[in-house]
Amino acid sequence: MLLASVDYYRPGTLAEATNALGGSEDARALAGGQSLVSLLKLRATQVDLLVDISRLEELRSVTENEDGSVTIGSCVTYDELEHHDQLGSTHPSIGKVAGGTVDQQIRNRGTIGGNLCHNDPINNFPVLAVALDATMHAVSTTAQRDIPATGFFTAAFSNALEPEELLTGITFPALEEGFRVGWSEIEIGEAASRAVAVVRTENGSIAEARMTLGCLPVPTLRPDTAAQLASVGSSESEIAEAVAAVADGIDFFPDDADASSDYRRAMAPVVAKRAVLDALGDNDG
Amino acid sequence: MDKGPVHDIEFTLNGETRSDRIAARQLLVHFLRDDLGLRGPKIGCDTGHCGACTVRYDGGTIKSCMMLAVQADGAEITTVESMSSDGDMNDLQESFRQHHGLQCGYCTSGMLMSSQFLLERKPKPTEQEIRAGIQGNLCRCTGYVNIVKAIKAASGQEVSR
Amino acid sequence: MTAPAQTEIKTPTWTGQSLPRKEDERLLKAQGAFVDDEGIYRMGYAHFVRSPYAHAEIVSVDVSKAEALGGVIATLTGDEVKAMTEPLFQFAPKPEGQIEEYLLGVDRVRYQGEAVVVLLAETREIARDAADLVEVEYKPLPVVIDGVDAADSDSPLLHEGLGNNIAWEGLFDWGDIDWAMENADHVVKIDSLHFHRYSSTPIECNAMLINWDPGTDIIRVVSNNQFPLFGALVIAPSMGVGVDQFDFRSQDIGGGFGIKINSYTQIGVLSLLSRKAGRPVKWTEYRTEHHLSGGHGNERTFRNIEIPVMADGTILGFKMDVFDNAGAYLHYEPLGAVIWSQVAPGAYRFKNIQVDYKETVTNKCPAVPNRGYSRMQHLWAIERMVDTVAHELDFDPVELRKLNYVQPEDYPYTTPNGCVYDSGNLPAALDAVLDLIDHDAVRKAQKAAEGTGKRIGLGIGTTLDSGTNNFGQARILNPELPFSGNGEACTAKLDLYGEIMLTLGTIPQGQGHETSASQVAADILGVSPEEVRVWTGFDKGHSAYIGFSGTYASQFAVTGINAIIGACEKLAAEITEVAAFALGASEEEIELAEGMARVRGDAEREIPYIGIANMVYANNAVLPYELATKVSLTCRHVYVVPFDLPDTEKKYGNLTLTYSTQTHAAVVEIDDETGKVKLLDYAVVDDCGTRLNPMLVEGQVHGATAHGIGAALRETFEYDEDGQLLNNNFLFYHPPTAVDVPHIKTGSIESPSPFSGTGAKGMGEGGGAPLHAICAAIQDALDPEMPIVNDSHNPPERVFGLLGYDGGADGRGVTVESRG
Repeated sequence: MLLASVDYYRPGTLAEATNALGGSEDARALAGGQSLVSLLKLRATQVDLLVDISRLEELRSVTENEDGSVTIGSCVTYDELEHHDQLGSTHPSIGKVAGGTVDQQIRNRGTIGGNLCHNDPINNFPVLAVALDATMHAVSTTAQRDIPATGFFTAAFSNALEPEELLTGITFPALEEGFRVGWSEIEIGEAASRAVAVVRTENGSIAEARMTLGCLPVPTLRPDTAAQLASVGSSESEIAEAVAAVADGIDFFPDDADASSDYRRAMAPVVAKRAVLDALGDNDG
Repeated sequence: MDKGPVHDIEFTLNGETRSDRIAARQLLVHFLRDDLGLRGPKIGCDTGHCGACTVRYDGGTIKSCMMLAVQADGAEITTVESMSSDGDMNDLQESFRQHHGLQCGYCTSGMLMSSQFLLERKPKPTEQEIRAGIQGNLCRCTGYVNIVKAIKAASGQEVSR
Repeated sequence: MTAPAQTEIKTPTWTGQSLPRKEDERLLKAQGAFVDDEGIYRMGYAHFVRSPYAHAEIVSVDVSKAEALGGVIATLTGDEVKAMTEPLFQFAPKPEGQIEEYLLGVDRVRYQGEAVVVLLAETREIARDAADLVEVEYKPLPVVIDGVDAADSDSPLLHEGLGNNIAWEGLFDWGDIDWAMENADHVVKIDSLHFHRYSSTPIECNAMLINWDPGTDIIRVVSNNQFPLFGALVIAPSMGVGVDQFDFRSQDIGGGFGIKINSYTQIGVLSLLSRKAGRPVKWTEYRTEHHLSGGHGNERTFRNIEIPVMADGTILGFKMDVFDNAGAYLHYEPLGAVIWSQVAPGAYRFKNIQVDYKETVTNKCPAVPNRGYSRMQHLWAIERMVDTVAHELDFDPVELRKLNYVQPEDYPYTTPNGCVYDSGNLPAALDAVLDLIDHDAVRKAQKAAEGTGKRIGLGIGTTLDSGTNNFGQARILNPELPFSGNGEACTAKLDLYGEIMLTLGTIPQGQGHETSASQVAADILGVSPEEVRVWTGFDKGHSAYIGFSGTYASQFAVTGINAIIGACEKLAAEITEVAAFALGASEEEIELAEGMARVRGDAEREIPYIGIANMVYANNAVLPYELATKVSLTCRHVYVVPFDLPDTEKKYGNLTLTYSTQTHAAVVEIDDETGKVKLLDYAVVDDCGTRLNPMLVEGQVHGATAHGIGAALRETFEYDEDGQLLNNNFLFYHPPTAVDVPHIKTGSIESPSPFSGTGAKGMGEGGGAPLHAICAAIQDALDPEMPIVNDSHNPPERVFGLLGYDGGADGRGVTVESRG
C-alpha cells in the first residue's frame, strides 16, 4: 500500500487545474481520493501528477437553477449532500443515496464527481445519474461541453471524459410533477445488485416509469420494462410480472467472490420490483 | 528521505502550527506515524476499510491512509493524542474504560475519533445511530457490544447491565 | 488419573469483580507500544517478494536489478536460505518421507503468496519499489485445491517426500460402531458436510523488529507473535542456533486469535536477513500479504456420515470420513488431526465413534490454529448431525439435545476416548438461552411470517471450549514426539522498596492479563490491584517461562492464573517468614493486609513491605544467616497440569483439563427472494466455571460470537481453480462492522471446575457456536423438502440455492434408513 513515484499539485483556480491536466498525459484529478488513492496504493493505475481539485470553490457549490434543476459541483462530498437542506426538499433521493454510502469517514471526503468518474460497478451515483437523466459538465483549457449521463459511462472504471477534461458539475433536472424515485439494492459485502425506479402514478396505477439497473459496468436503462410498468396497477404481483424480464438482453453481469453473475441476473427483477415499491411507498420521493 | 518530488507544507496538528517538507507520495498516516512519532493513527489494511487510521481533518473524520501527507497543507488535523493532552483521559475515554470498550486496543484510537465526531453531531444517539457512526471502524475483539455501550454512556444516556 | 484439587476459590476479594482494566489507560491515550511503534537505530525495512502462482517450479531468481537500486541494503533468496539452514522440523513425518520446507521457497512454490525472496532497504518505499525489480521465472504446475481431491493418488503431487498428498492419516475408533449400526432403529446418513476456510483477521497484521547482533550473537526479536517459544523450537534447529540466542520481546499486540502463532517462519528468515545485512530489520505485514500467507483456519470436509439413532431419539454415536485441508505446508499441523478428539462426542453422551481422518496438503495457504482450532470444526459437524437427526426424524431440536446431553449428574464425565469433561449444566444453559430470546414469541412470529416472503428460523448451537490441553496428545500422531503435559510460569517478587511485581509467561493480545493477574495477586498479598505491577507483555530475558508459555488455546484462566497463585503464595510465605522474625511472632500469627505484614489482632506490631525488602536486599546482616540465604523475595512458580501420557495405541486419554460450555441461540429472518439472512436476535449462555473478572469474560464471549457470525454469513477464503485467492484483502473479505453484528444478549452459569484450583476454566475461543446456531436457524426456516444446510458458510447465494431447490429427495444431502 505504498504509492509509486508521483507528484502533487494544488491549483488555486479551475483554469490552473485544467492547464495542469492538459499539460501531462498521466495527470489525474484528485478529488476526495477515496477511490483514486486506493487504486494508487494497490498500484492498479499509473499516475505521474495528482492535481488536487478538492478545495476549488468553483466545484463545491450546490445551485438551485431557475427551472427547478439543481447543479451540484463535482467536489461536493457525500456528507454535504446528505445534510443539504435545499437538496433535501427538491431532490431528496440524492441526499438519501449519499447518506447510504458506507461509512462516515468516506462520506466526509468522497465526492459525487469522484464517485461518478470512477464508475466502479459498486458505486451508487452512476446509476442514480442515469436514472434521473442528469447532465455532466466538463471543461478543458479550450472548451466546455455537456455530456448526458446516458453517454457518460463507457465501461467499468471508465468514462467519456478526455484525459485533459475535468468534470466540474452535474445537473439533475427537476423531478416532474407526480414522479417519485425509488431505490433498491442488495448488499453482499459490497453492493451486488441495484435498481432505481422513477415512477408516476395516476388513480392508483402506474402511469409512467423509468427503470435503470446498476451494479453493471454501465448503468443500463430498461425501456421495455418501463413500458411494461406503465399501466399496471400498483400491486406487488403486477409489478413483479412487469419487471420479470428486466435482465433480458443484458449479456454481462459481474462475477466475483461476493456473488456470481447468475445470481446477479436472478436478482435484477427483485431489485427492480422493490425499487418500484419503494417509489410507491411512504417515502418523500 | 525519498528521492522523488517533495513539497513544503504548513498545517495545524493538535492545535500547534508546523511546517514540514513532505515527499509527494507519502501517505498521511505514514507521515504522522513515522515522521512525527504519533501512535494514535494505526495501519490495519491496504484498502481503506478498517478505519484504524482515522483522524480529524478540518472538523470531519477521515482515514489518514487514504490521503497524501501533502494534502495536509492548510488543514487542521487532530489525532487521538489530543483527547488526553493534559495527561488525563477525557470522559469518552473514561467511558470506554468503564465499559470494557476495548480489548487489544488497536482499533481504539480510530474508534475514539469516530465516536467523538458522532457525539458532536448527535449528542444523544440511538443504538442504531451509534452503530452507523462507527461503521467505518472495524473491531475484531469486542463484537462492538461494549463499544456501543461506552459511547451511549458517554453521551449521558442510561445503559443497561 | 487426574486427582481433583480443592474447588473453593482461594482468593476471595478482588477476584470475581468486574474491575476495569489496568491496560486501558495507555491504550486509550495511544501510548500502547505495538511493534510498528518501535524502532532500532539504523534499521532497514523488509519486503517479501511472493509467488503469483499457486504451484510452480522456480526456474531462476535474479535480484541484481533490485540490488542496484539506490537504498537497497541486502537481499536473501531461497537458494541462500537452503545453503545455510536445515529444513524445518516436521511434527509427524510419514515413514515414506516428509515435507521439506525452508524459510523461503526453494526450487518450488506451492501456494499463491509463498515468499521467495526478501529484501531490505533504507525506507519502506524503496523496499516496495525494489520488489518490482526482482525477476523470478516460474514454470507453472498443475494445481490441486480441494482437500478431498488431494487424497486421490493421481492429484498433482506437492511434496516429493510424502509420496502423495496425504500428510497424516489415522483411524479413530472407540466403542463399537458396528454394534450401534446393527442395533439402531434408524440410521441417518449425511452425504457431506463442509466447514469453510476463514480467519479471525486481527486488525494488526504480523510485525517484527529483529536485530542479530554480530558481537553477542543474540537475536533480538520484538514481535507480535503470540507463541514465540513454540516458533523457536521449530526454527532454532533449522537455523543452527540455540534457543538461548533468541531474545523475544513483545508488548501490546493488536489481536492474535491463534493466527499470530504462525509468524515463526518470518522470524527465522528476517533474522537471517539481519545477520547478512548487518542491520536491524523492521517488517510490517500488508493486509494483502496477511490474507495470502499469514495463515487460515482449518477447512474440513466430512463425508459418508452415518448416525445410528434409537426410536426414542438416543443417538448412539456416528462414523465418518474426514478430510482436513491443511494447505501447502504443515505449520502447527498435523496437531489438528488429534486436537478435535478433545471433544470427540461433542456435548453428548455418544458412546460409539469411528472417524477415518486424512490430512491433505493442497495449493492453498497453510492452515494455522485459528480461534476455535480444530474442535470447532468437529463440534459444528456434530451439531449439524444432531440438528439433522431432529429434522429428519421429527424430533424437537431442544428435546433431542436435552435427551442426549451429558447430564449435570454425569460430571466428571469420561468420554469414549478418555477425555474427562469436568463440570457443566447443559440443560440449564439451554433453557436459559431460550429464555433470553423468548422462544415462544419466536415460534409465534415464525408462524405469522409464513407466506410473507420472509421466513423466520430459530437455531441452537451447543459448543465446548476445551482448555488447557495435554500436549501428550501429539504422541497420538507421532509416538516419537517428546512433548507432553502443560503448564505456565510466573515470577512474583518484591522490588527493592517493597513494590510488588509479576512477570508472566503469557503473551496477551487483549485478554486483560495484567488486570486478572493483579486481582488474584492482590488477594493473596493483601494489597489493591493498583499496587501490583504486572510487567507488560513478554520479555524472554525477564519473564518466567517454560516451553508452553504463550497465550493460545483458552488456558490462561487455568495455567496462567495457577502459576500466578503459586508464585504469589511462595512470595507471601517468604514475606511471612521474614515478618515473623522481625516482629517476634510465629508465622501462624502473621497476616498480610493493606501492604503490611502484621500480627493478627495487634495493631502495634506490623511491618510494611518496604521493610521486608530492605532486610533481604540491602540489610541482610540483621537477619539470621539461614533465613537470609533461604529467602530471595523473587519467587518463580511453574504450575504443572496433572496430566498422564495418553495411550497412543488406543488414542485414549485425558487430553484437556477443563471444558467451558457455550450455548447459543440465533433467530434469523431469511429473505425468500434473495437468500439474505438477517439476525433478528442473538443470545449466548456461557459457563466457564468461576469467573475471575466477569466483565472480561463477557467481552470474550462478545468477540468470539462476532467472529462466528462473521464467518457464518460474510467471511470466507475462496480460491479459484488456478489457486488464486479471491478474498485477498478487505475488498473481498468482509469482517462485520458494527452495523452487521446485532446486540448480543448474554447470560452465564458458573459450574466450577473441580480440577483447576480456583474453579475457573479457560475460555475465549468460543467453539464457533454461531456457526452451529446460524446453520440450525437457517435449517429451521427452510421447508422440510429443502436440502440440509451442509456448509458452515451461508452467504445469500448459497441460501438462495437451498430455497430454490427443486430436485428429488436424493439431492437433499441426507437419507434415512429406518428399520422395523
